[in-house]
Amino acid sequence: MSAATQSRPARGLRVSRGVMFLVLALGALAMLAPFAWLIRSALMTDAQIFINPPQWFPNPVAWENFPDALTAQPFARYFLNTMIIEAVVVTGTVLTCSLTAFSFARLRWRGRNLVFGVLLTGVMLPYAVTLIPTFVGWAALGALDTFIPLTVPAWFAGAGGGVFNIFLFRQFFLTIPYEMDEAAYIDGANPWQVFISIVMPLSKPVIVVVVIFTFIGVWNDFLGPLLYLSSSENFTLALGLATFQSAYTAQWGLLMAASLVVILPIVLLFFVLQRYFVEGVTLTGIKG
Amino acid sequence: MKPLVLNRRDVLRLGGVTALGGALGGSLVACSSAGPQLQYMFWGSTAEQEAVESMLASFEGTLDGELTVEPLYTPDDYDTKLNALVASNRMPDVAYISNGMAYRLAEQGKLLDLSPYFEDHPGIGGRLPEAYNFWSETQTFGTPAALEIMCLFTNKAAFSEAGVELPPVTAADAWSWDDFVDAAYRLTVDQSGRRPDEDGFDTTQVARFGTLANMWSAAWYGLLLSNGVDVVDASGTTTQLNSPEAVAVLQNLVDLMHEHRVAPSPTQLGNNAPSTPAQLASNRLAMAIDGQWALLDISKSDFDYGIGVLPSYGTPMTASMGGAIGISAETEHLEEALALYVHQSDPTVVGLFGEGLWMPVEEKYYTDEELIATWTDNEVHPQEYRTAVVDYTMSSSKRYFAETMRNYEAIDKIISPALERVQTGEEEVQAVMDEIAAELNDGVLQGFYPNPLV
Amino acid sequence: MSGVSAEAAPNGAGRRGRRGNTGRAEARWGVLFAMPAILGFVIFTIGPMIASFILSLTDWTVGGTPAFIGIDNYVALTQDKLFWKSLGVTTYYTLAAVPLALLVGFVVALLVNAGWRLQSLWRTVYYLPTLVPAVASAVLWIWIFNPDSGLFNSVLRAVGLPTSNWIYSESTAVPSLIIMSTWGFGNAMVIFLAGLQGVPRQLYEAVALDGGGAWSKFRHVTLPFMTPVIFYNLVTGVIGTFQVFNQAYIMTSGGPNNATLFYIYYLYTKAFTDSEMGYASALAWVLFVIVLVITALLFRNARSWVYYETGDTR
Repeated sequence: MSAATQSRPARGLRVSRGVMFLVLALGALAMLAPFAWLIRSALMTDAQIFINPPQWFPNPVAWENFPDALTAQPFARYFLNTMIIEAVVVTGTVLTCSLTAFSFARLRWRGRNLVFGVLLTGVMLPYAVTLIPTFVGWAALGALDTFIPLTVPAWFAGAGGGVFNIFLFRQFFLTIPYEMDEAAYIDGANPWQVFISIVMPLSKPVIVVVVIFTFIGVWNDFLGPLLYLSSSENFTLALGLATFQSAYTAQWGLLMAASLVVILPIVLLFFVLQRYFVEGVTLTGIKG
Repeated sequence: MKPLVLNRRDVLRLGGVTALGGALGGSLVACSSAGPQLQYMFWGSTAEQEAVESMLASFEGTLDGELTVEPLYTPDDYDTKLNALVASNRMPDVAYISNGMAYRLAEQGKLLDLSPYFEDHPGIGGRLPEAYNFWSETQTFGTPAALEIMCLFTNKAAFSEAGVELPPVTAADAWSWDDFVDAAYRLTVDQSGRRPDEDGFDTTQVARFGTLANMWSAAWYGLLLSNGVDVVDASGTTTQLNSPEAVAVLQNLVDLMHEHRVAPSPTQLGNNAPSTPAQLASNRLAMAIDGQWALLDISKSDFDYGIGVLPSYGTPMTASMGGAIGISAETEHLEEALALYVHQSDPTVVGLFGEGLWMPVEEKYYTDEELIATWTDNEVHPQEYRTAVVDYTMSSSKRYFAETMRNYEAIDKIISPALERVQTGEEEVQAVMDEIAAELNDGVLQGFYPNPLV
Repeated sequence: MSGVSAEAAPNGAGRRGRRGNTGRAEARWGVLFAMPAILGFVIFTIGPMIASFILSLTDWTVGGTPAFIGIDNYVALTQDKLFWKSLGVTTYYTLAAVPLALLVGFVVALLVNAGWRLQSLWRTVYYLPTLVPAVASAVLWIWIFNPDSGLFNSVLRAVGLPTSNWIYSESTAVPSLIIMSTWGFGNAMVIFLAGLQGVPRQLYEAVALDGGGAWSKFRHVTLPFMTPVIFYNLVTGVIGTFQVFNQAYIMTSGGPNNATLFYIYYLYTKAFTDSEMGYASALAWVLFVIVLVITALLFRNARSWVYYETGDTR
């Protein structure tokens, strides 16, 4: 059942490949269900959404949900704000986390593994109890209602949650044969050159993973912007979405319509970026 | 060498983007440090957000000088943000606060005592006595911005279809519980037209339920009081939830679901069920006990609705409630904050009163005919609203115990799971209540906060 | 901490012994490159961690003044039945949900990576459930779990099997949420997918030449090459799942009768609804120690099964 083997399926394999395709297609149907549910809900009134047993096709179609939802908040502004944060956070995370991970995976220095272990403890303490001290710190620096608390930590290897990215990069870097570095060092390269011209080009799949995760993380982050931003002109998309489902009320139709529009960019992003997963870095081939 | 070049260019490009981001971030730092501000923090739906922001804008128009009003709209995770602001000494000048936290902040000296301003500001001193939140015999952080009571909403079409008389609209005529159950029987119908008391009634295929067994403590508090008991006895430290009267009320609610089958069980309903207004509007539900605030959503749905008073076990009673609002004790703009405190509750300024979401807190809006008309004389408020809500509030309401009991958060952690157990219909109400009574009486109950005005 | 560092990243360079004095230069570069993370930890992470630890030794209620009470909060914890309840619920959930997500994520990654036409489309479709906002899919799941008219019970009834009350009954609430959690395999899948691209094709051919079939290719090539990634998903899965919060928050509010009172959900209400930050901090540090010990054990154990290319070449 190994996946990566089928370039020219043998006769016996053809049957099992047929079965696999069936599984793939049925699975896909199940995967599409929540999305289809989102679409149909986005086109329903609140009353329709909850009719039991549920209806899969809206009748009548509540097209007005879309204009209603998208004009309820200045979403264009929120989109711009979100994209500014995305640009700073994604670049900072990818650059600093990969660089740090390169050090942990491929450079030798005393205390390296201890430092890595200590960094990892940063994600083991529930954020609920570090939230207030962190907030007090940013407040003291006068950084409230700016993007600084939401962006600057990303340039320090993500600080906090970014450790997961360092760990991920590290695991991938450890699968790249060391001979390649060695050859470059013999040719007089320094570690920066090895990092940028050997390791990173071989790591497109993991870079893409970190880009996707970081992008989606920022896109969906609600608590950070909620805490640090107070003027509504600084709000992000996730905050805008939350207005449809606030403390005691929910406008489900509008929430679903706005959610649908808001996730489309990340669906597209994934669709575009996942092609880097097929570039099949055949390591031993490069070595040869 | 190619990859190296490519990557360098990428690095440069990324650096450029970062610089741009930094610049934009910097510009935002600059524009947020404007002149003196009066901060107003609140939650709510988009409709409430709009109404509150326009209320704040109209208030800002009354100010001279450079003071501006800064709305801090916080749709969700409100407590999280407010805790963070308090911890960093940045409590907003005026803020919605959940009740438990409000009492806590008041006791810590973070909220302004409004009692010294009662005389100079009739808008602060002249409110319904029940509405005040006192944290000691003499100190109060005021009242909610708006009041609410629990009432009985109906879908009139369902009643005429079933040939059932609409519920009474004055406290004096309130239905007995049996009248209520009887009406619910006749209003419930399955998809083949059978009633719950007819053979072959299919509980899984109910087209319309007569009512909802609202197990939320605010919904049954009025019923409990009506049956002659409160959540605690006079000492405030012994619960009466396991008294025969309280158990009868809860048992009756549970019976609506499992015995009479005129109300959906929790599993039939599911969490995140459609809101009560939506169910009423779609004729899935004929009548329901819900908060007055539901009127906003109900009035926006396209159906013929009515309001009645809750059934009574003897003395007609309902619960009144409202989210606390406080003024920071450290506000630098005291007079303006007090003025805003009055302004936010003025039905002639804030649209939410006329739209059905809020009820006023000042007493005169319940007693002066002309003033009553300012918020009830419109399309939203049905004719019977005058007696079923306005008079009912004055004659038969008591403040919801969750908003006046000490240590309520701990109490709730015991009561809520117990109610979840009870409503499955699988456990004896008496046994469960006896079990939690032991826990509650063990130091968890610490009495009510005083209200010298009542 | 010793446990965590025990899984010393296998170090080809070290063992092979570099020529002459480059070792010291390498160490300088190493520390320099690790600086962003070290600075980040020192500036942004360690302060709040220390603060929360100190707070755990106080009775601080937000807004008030903290008073030092030693280990009283920790003593009180042992008497708190909701603490034990939430710890039990969370452990149960983690033990089931983490392996399940790993298994499903791995199988699906193999499935969508099998060189289909329209590969991009299949992958995106399989990632979609991860992208649908939690509140939107919660509404769907609430219907799926509905005992009367929900999807699961309808299917069970149709084939004549006994039905369940799913999230509405104390005994089945957590298993229901575990089933639901497998829908979130998308992130694990993506990481596996990225990992699969690093498996050298030539090795498959080598196995084929030796007469090995699909299973032996999987067993002797795919699996060993994927161990670093499996290890990653395991560790982050454990750390993340112990801190699961959303499902209780959105689907069940911790009920029925506290059956889904996840640890962080309980901690969160203590911290922000009750403002009892001292007690919440103690709760947090207990969880910290538990997660730390488990992670350390995982790292220690990893040496026996995680295969790193850098440490095993030549």
